[in-house]
Amino acid sequence: MRLNVTVNGERRQADDVWEGESLLYVLRERLGLPGSKNACEQGECGSCTVYLDDVPACSCLVAAGQAEGREVRTVEGLAEGEALDPVQQSFVDAGAVQCGFCTPGLVVAAHDLLDRVPDPSDEEIREALAGNLCRCTGYEKILDAVRTAAGAR
Amino acid sequence: MTTTESTDVTAAQGIGTSPVRPDGTMKVRGEFAYSSDLWHEDMLWGATLRSPHPYAHITGIDISAALALPGVYAVLTHTDVPGVNRYGLEHPDQPVLAEDVVRYQGEPVAIVAADHPETARRAVAKIDVGYEVLEPVTDSEAAVAGEGPELHPGGNVVRHVPIRFGEQDVTADVVVTGRYEVGMQDQAFLGPESGLAVPAEDGGVDLFVATQWLHVDQQQIVAALGLPKDKVRLTLGGVGGAFGGREDLSIQVHACLLALHTGKPVKMVYNREESFYGHVHRHPATLYYEHGADRDGRLVYVRARMYLDGGAYASTTGAVSGNAATLGVGPYSVPNVTIDCWGTYSNNPPCGAMRGFGAVQAAFAYESQMDRLARACGLDPVEVRLRNAMSEGTRLPTGQVVDSAAPVDELLTRLRAMPLPADRSGEPDLRHLPGGVSNTTHGEGVVRGVGYAVGIKNICFSEGFDDYSTARVRLEALGGEPAATVQTAACEVGQGLVTILQQIIRTELGVEQVTTLPMDTSIGSAGSSSASRQSYMTGGAVRAAALEVRAALVEHAARILGHDRGDLSVGGGKVVSRTDGVLADLVDVLGDAAFDRTVEWRHRPTESLDPETGQGNAHVQYGFAAHRAVVDVDTELGLLKVVALDCVQDVGKALNPQAVLGQIQGGSAQGLGLAVMEEIQTEGGVIRNPSFTDYLIPTVLDMPPMRIEVLELADPHAPYGLRGVGEPPTISSTPAIVAAIRAATGLALDRVPVRPEHLTGT
Amino acid sequence: MRTFSYVRAPDVETALRTIATEPNAKFLGGGTNLVDLMRENIERPDVVVDISRLPLTGIDELPGGGVRIGALVRNSSLAAHPLVRTRYPVVSQAVLGGASAQLRNMATVGGNLLQRTRCLYFYDEASACNKREPGSGCSALGGFTRNHGVLGVSDHCIAAHPSDLCVALAALDAEVEVESTRGTRRIPLTEFHHLPGSTPHVETALAPDELVTSVELPAPVTTRSRYRKVRDRASYAFALVSVAAALEVRDDTVTAARLALGGVAPKPWRATEAERVLLGAPATEESFRSAAEAELASATSQDGNDFKIELARRTIVATLRDLLTDRSAA
Repeated sequence: MRLNVTVNGERRQADDVWEGESLLYVLRERLGLPGSKNACEQGECGSCTVYLDDVPACSCLVAAGQAEGREVRTVEGLAEGEALDPVQQSFVDAGAVQCGFCTPGLVVAAHDLLDRVPDPSDEEIREALAGNLCRCTGYEKILDAVRTAAGAR
Repeated sequence: MTTTESTDVTAAQGIGTSPVRPDGTMKVRGEFAYSSDLWHEDMLWGATLRSPHPYAHITGIDISAALALPGVYAVLTHTDVPGVNRYGLEHPDQPVLAEDVVRYQGEPVAIVAADHPETARRAVAKIDVGYEVLEPVTDSEAAVAGEGPELHPGGNVVRHVPIRFGEQDVTADVVVTGRYEVGMQDQAFLGPESGLAVPAEDGGVDLFVATQWLHVDQQQIVAALGLPKDKVRLTLGGVGGAFGGREDLSIQVHACLLALHTGKPVKMVYNREESFYGHVHRHPATLYYEHGADRDGRLVYVRARMYLDGGAYASTTGAVSGNAATLGVGPYSVPNVTIDCWGTYSNNPPCGAMRGFGAVQAAFAYESQMDRLARACGLDPVEVRLRNAMSEGTRLPTGQVVDSAAPVDELLTRLRAMPLPADRSGEPDLRHLPGGVSNTTHGEGVVRGVGYAVGIKNICFSEGFDDYSTARVRLEALGGEPAATVQTAACEVGQGLVTILQQIIRTELGVEQVTTLPMDTSIGSAGSSSASRQSYMTGGAVRAAALEVRAALVEHAARILGHDRGDLSVGGGKVVSRTDGVLADLVDVLGDAAFDRTVEWRHRPTESLDPETGQGNAHVQYGFAAHRAVVDVDTELGLLKVVALDCVQDVGKALNPQAVLGQIQGGSAQGLGLAVMEEIQTEGGVIRNPSFTDYLIPTVLDMPPMRIEVLELADPHAPYGLRGVGEPPTISSTPAIVAAIRAATGLALDRVPVRPEHLTGT
Repeated sequence: MRTFSYVRAPDVETALRTIATEPNAKFLGGGTNLVDLMRENIERPDVVVDISRLPLTGIDELPGGGVRIGALVRNSSLAAHPLVRTRYPVVSQAVLGGASAQLRNMATVGGNLLQRTRCLYFYDEASACNKREPGSGCSALGGFTRNHGVLGVSDHCIAAHPSDLCVALAALDAEVEVESTRGTRRIPLTEFHHLPGSTPHVETALAPDELVTSVELPAPVTTRSRYRKVRDRASYAFALVSVAAALEVRDDTVTAARLALGGVAPKPWRATEAERVLLGAPATEESFRSAAEAELASATSQDGNDFKIELARRTIVATLRDLLTDRSAA
């Protein structure tokens, strides 16, 4: 099938999409946007988190057809050209990136949190990010990064 | 080599500072290419058929239906392996593709290449394999007793490591015994096993893969493909974490076989379930310990029997057993030691390297024992440890003398001095209580416990292994500035090695601009990214190469500037004379010259262990960390919350303080996981929880804030005095948490992970 | 995953007609369960009917104080809605304790009702499973049963129902409205899910051509309600045992009680025995314990899940105690 979806503000089209492909697969393999990751493809790790019509969703569980005509925003769409989004910059500065595989999903989830709750408490940060697994950092520096980003926005 | 010589510690962004990692921006932008992101024109997708049975004879393989599926380009079995159909890190006992027997659930039997991953999966499902199912061997202790069928020629004991130190039959006034179990933990790195094999015009193949040791992969691929080394070229694809789980081969030979057979690039990516079958896990262990001490709690002897279940293939079971045995009494001074450690074969999932590598299992046992001893002697847990603490000059049970700082007592006293979290009083924020999101108790029936543990890990490879790393450093003027390039094959797996190597160059050459070349097999081996060894070994190699470059540069500068060589140094992009100050800009002195040195660098040699007594100077260096855990337990429902997990670790020299903290925090999280939630559940050799739904790893809600103190007690034998950082925090975190739960509940808790039903006694 | 065709229903009528005429079609709401099951080859529809854009997304107050929740309301909207948070806090808590923010943004109420068990033998195609293949047996029996049921199980199936939301809905006397080309009907939530008996593959009362369109909750007996869950980590994981409870107490006597259990049965388990003991009893720990014992009296266990019986009793008592002292009703 043909899929029409707006990604990072741009109208995109993918042809010959098999119905069983996920939005994650389409983004990564057909639209040249491999930033969202495939750590589990079961909705358990959050590494595939994207904005789907303004709310964070696990793109691995979105059947391709369900994305038709909708707005998707991925990690690749957060920076403004060369300038990183404050959340991205904070992750880099705080040492919250080690292997970085969880980073795109976390950056999107944190970005959404700060949009909704500009000055979150630690508890609010933890609850909002509880759907994103990280195996390298132990989460401490991720929390540091989100706190810093909240201050910077 | 001491730390003061030849080190300009004030170099901007040099060692001792925390510059941001050079790949950080790409990673936050989603632009960093992991091995699972690779793409090639015309590429096919590979998939693997795996045995559903833990132990079976293969009576036949019929690939015809799979081959007939449109879009399928190849279906290969063991008959298609041109070279040797065996590989393995210690013993080449593992088939690339199974022949007449499968020894674990998930063992690869056939591989497929197709034009779409779904087609490849469907083709795999159409391969018809006849199995004669056999009763799986699952009992390690039975294997040691010689029971059960032989899974490999020579029997089911991969290695027996005896340690006989001091006297073997002493008695003591106070004796405490215990039987402990450590469940099978998984590395659970997020980036799936993946890579891309591209067939080359010369009949060889270029492989891009996420791994921990390019050259050892290359060796095994070369043997399996029957190709010369120069025809098998590996480049590191971006790695999404490793923790030991990428030391063994996964897609490497399979992808190359399919690429060479089809003449097209082949990409292979495991999904999460397949990942659980596709890599080795931490050895589950059963440990029997007996500690004998005088009435003041001073250890007289330790006796232990350790059984490590290595699963179907040897992997690194030998080395894991060696570590568990040699570190089996922990960071304590013990005059008389009797240890027997067995690593065995079984039809359980294959086990091998995971962060901590045998020291984790031993630590759970010996630290549990130290608490038992404390209780038996009426001492507090810190005091009993202080009375037995190892220090510089202590002899290990292998007879090896610890020849640099071993600040066990200082780690503990500093931990003890850290403030404890506030008591829960008044109206606490309920989210701080056991239960987690939207689920907390109101506080009645919640008891708090505090626990301590300290651990020891060997850093770098041991037992006489000829370990080395190769580094190339080049200095020249580029674009009007002095620029350095560093090249190694050292695998960056997320730990931040790429950052540190640049920092070393900045320090040694005083040059800001440092480029890191891709890691590949065009340069010599850097050894494994494991054993917490890379800062030491590849850092050492880069440093050595940089020093050679500097020496050549200084000689060149001396000639050009007409100064005495001994008078000159470089720093801050300048050439400086001791007597006359700044002489010139480095870029001017460089002109068109380039200084390019490659060094193969070794640590001081180690010895193998005597096969009867386990004596020998087997280790290069030790790393020490201690944790204090504070845990709240809702004893009614069995819910718990780790309220604090504080740590003191000696890192010798923090090359990048921010990265050091990241390693301590990350390692502690993995230790927390083993303590309270992580276990690969097997039933007759079958993995019952191969998903993140059922194999739970800690989330941000499970991790407490950590107070961390980093000591820098230089090891005079190591570059910059550094000690490996990555593994020690994974070792003492688990027993500290369990000790805290025991303190809260009074329960014995001899097994990790601890589950709610263990806490309620229901 | 098999090959299938994908159609999007523009309206309820078309959705109903499609499901009535296609022999092997399934509705797709949020996809958080169906997509996974299709990848596992457990669900194998020939046609997937995407209903996610149908106008079934309202949460409306009913005359009399109840609430009507459209089947396509996302979990996140449900948990956050002021009516739900104030009148049925147990529902909000159940949803918030259930899954991550990402999944809550995607999952629908209707889908939650229809989600299938997480039994690892159900998921493992090498294992015998009477749900997947009627008559093939149950590999869970005698297997690794830590996550399996202790109430309402049979020799054919001991799986547990994984939903948190359904437990809360079961406690609160929810009714499910379903539509087909043949008309509309209402099914009490407690009758919506079936016990396995000898037909574990028959999981709900829903006919193959029916669409869940809404769930209605009657006016709450009390707004003092709570959800507790025992699981293996502080964050999202399926329940070992969970309890949804509502308790009204006047003059130290229980005047109303609603109780349901999760993680312990093949369907959300309405604890009618416990409610019977509680009604009119003094609001004391002793009564709570008696009620819990009455409810679990018929429990049967395997080696691996025996702990759930006492754990379930304790979780009932703890939840009721929380409601009694109630420092955080919402």
